[in-house]
Amino acid sequence: MKNAVSGLGLAPDAAMVTFPIEMFLPGSDITPVEARKAEFYEGLTHWRSEFAADGNGGSALVSARGATFEDALGRANDLMLARQWGDGLPVWPATRERVGWILAGTSLPREHALGTFPPRGGVATVEICAIALAMAGGRPEYLPVLVAAVEAFLDPAAGSEQLQAASGSAFPVVIVNGPIGQQIRLNSGFGCLGPDPQRPAGASIGRALRLLQQNVGGARPGVGTMANYGGLRYTNVVFAEDEENLPTGWPPHGTERHGFARGTNSISLAFANGATNIRRRGAKKETPEEDALQGMHRMADFMRVPNLAGLAGYEHGTPGILMIPGVVAQTMVGLGWTKASIREFLWEHSRIPAEHLRRAGGYAWIEIDASKVTRESAALDPWPITSAPDNFILIVAGGGHPTNSYWLQGYSPGVIGREMRLPGDFARLVAKAERDLYGGEGGRGG
Amino acid sequence: MITLEFYDPSGRLEARQPHAPRLAGLAGKRIGFVSNEQWQAFRMLPLLKALLERDFAGIEVLPVNTFPQGNALIGNEETAQEVKRSGVDAVIIGNAA
Repeated sequence: MKNAVSGLGLAPDAAMVTFPIEMFLPGSDITPVEARKAEFYEGLTHWRSEFAADGNGGSALVSARGATFEDALGRANDLMLARQWGDGLPVWPATRERVGWILAGTSLPREHALGTFPPRGGVATVEICAIALAMAGGRPEYLPVLVAAVEAFLDPAAGSEQLQAASGSAFPVVIVNGPIGQQIRLNSGFGCLGPDPQRPAGASIGRALRLLQQNVGGARPGVGTMANYGGLRYTNVVFAEDEENLPTGWPPHGTERHGFARGTNSISLAFANGATNIRRRGAKKETPEEDALQGMHRMADFMRVPNLAGLAGYEHGTPGILMIPGVVAQTMVGLGWTKASIREFLWEHSRIPAEHLRRAGGYAWIEIDASKVTRESAALDPWPITSAPDNFILIVAGGGHPTNSYWLQGYSPGVIGREMRLPGDFARLVAKAERDLYGGEGGRGG
Repeated sequence: MITLEFYDPSGRLEARQPHAPRLAGLAGKRIGFVSNEQWQAFRMLPLLKALLERDFAGIEVLPVNTFPQGNALIGNEETAQEVKRSGVDAVIIGNAA
C-alpha cells in the first residue's frame, strides 16, 4: 500500500493505518477504528519518514556462488526468488556482460530515464530495461520494442498508475507495427499470443515488461498489485500485426490509431483483463454472406455483457482488441465489409438493454465514473459498451485459418502509441540474431 | 568456486517531494477528510471525526463531504487547491483497499 505514495514521488513509507479487508466490506464491524485511534493521531503528529534515497548511481550488483556453474546458476535463481525479483520460471541472471550486450540494442545512454514505474515509483532507466530483458531471455534487437512499450506504459494517459495496483487484473497488450516485427521474429500468425520457438521475441519482451512492473514498479501480488487473478501476466501480450495480410486499403493499426506513417516501427499499448477465443466460422451450408454475418453476431454477442470492464476506456480508450486472421479480413472485404462497417456493427450489436444493465447493478458504476461522457451515457438504451465505434481496436493477426477470432477485453483508459528508436547498426544485430538462433550453430559468438 | 555476479533489477527510488509536515498536537486544529467514498468510508470517516472531536479540545473536524469525493476527483489538482484554500492544518485520506 505504501507503493501508492512513492509512485507519486513521495517517500514510500507513508503514515498509514491498515486493517484486514473484512473491515472494508458492507456491514462490517468498524470498532477496530476506535481501538486503534492512537495510530491515526500518531500519523497526524509525530510520524516521520525513515526513507533514505538510493542515490543516483546505477544498479547494484549482487552475487551467487556455487561449486559449478550449474550450482551457481541455481543459487542465483534461488536468490532472485528470495528477493522477490523472479516470476517463478527460471531467470537468466543479468550479468554485466549480458546487460552490456543487450544495451547494444539502443543508442540511448544507459542512465537515460524513461519515467517512474507506478505504484512504487522506481526509476525506469534504459539500463533497468536491459536488466529486465536479460533476465527474461531477451536479445539486443528486442530492446527498442521494450523501451517504446515502457514509454507508452508510463504515459499518464495509459492509466498504469491505477491499473498496476488495481484488483481488476489488467495486463498490457503491445501491438507492433512496422518491419521490425518480422526482423526480430515477433509472431503475427499461428499461435501469436503463445510460445513459439521460431518467434520467441514477444514472450521475452512481454516478460521483461512484467518484470519491470514487478521489480521497478513494485507490483507484487497482494502487495503492490491487488489483482485477484493476474492472468496472462507471465509474458503480458506482445505481438505484431500481420501487415502482409491486411486487405487492400486497410491501414496498419499504428497508422490508423496513432497517425504513424506506414512502415514506421511503432508500438501501440492498451490494457486488457480478459482474453477469449470466439468461434467465427459456420459449420454447415452457410453462404459466404451468412457465414460472415453469423460470425459478426457471435463476436458482438460475446461483447454484450454488463461486467463493465470497458468503462475504464469508455471515452478515450478501448472496449477491447478484436483479432481476426488475414484470410477472414480479406474474405469480409470481398463481401463488402469495411473496417468502419465492422466496427459500426460491433458497436450497434453489443449495446446492452437497460433492463440487463439495471439488474446487474451497472448504473452505479456508470454514475461514479470520472468521465462526463460516460456518466451521461447512462441515458442511452440500449447502452453502448463504448462511446464510439472507432474505440474498438481491430487487428489482423492470427494464423491463416478462418475458424476463430480472439477478443482481448479492454480495461484501458487510453491507447498509447510510440515510435521506436533503433540504433544505427540495427541491421547487424538482426543478422547476428539470425545466425545465432537459426543458423544451426547455436550460441551467440562472433 | 564459480561466482555469478548480476544486477539487482529493482532500480533506484527517489523522493521528489517531502511528506506534509506533521502537527505538534491536535488540540485546536482544523482537520479535513479526502474520501474516495468507497470501502465503507461513509461509516469509518465520520467515526474518526467523532473520535477526534471527543479526544482533542477545540479541534474542528470538517464534515466528510466538505471536499470533492470519489476516486475520480480526489487526486486532481483542483481538489488539492480547494483543500489548500480551506486552511485546514491536516487531512486524512481514506479509504484504500
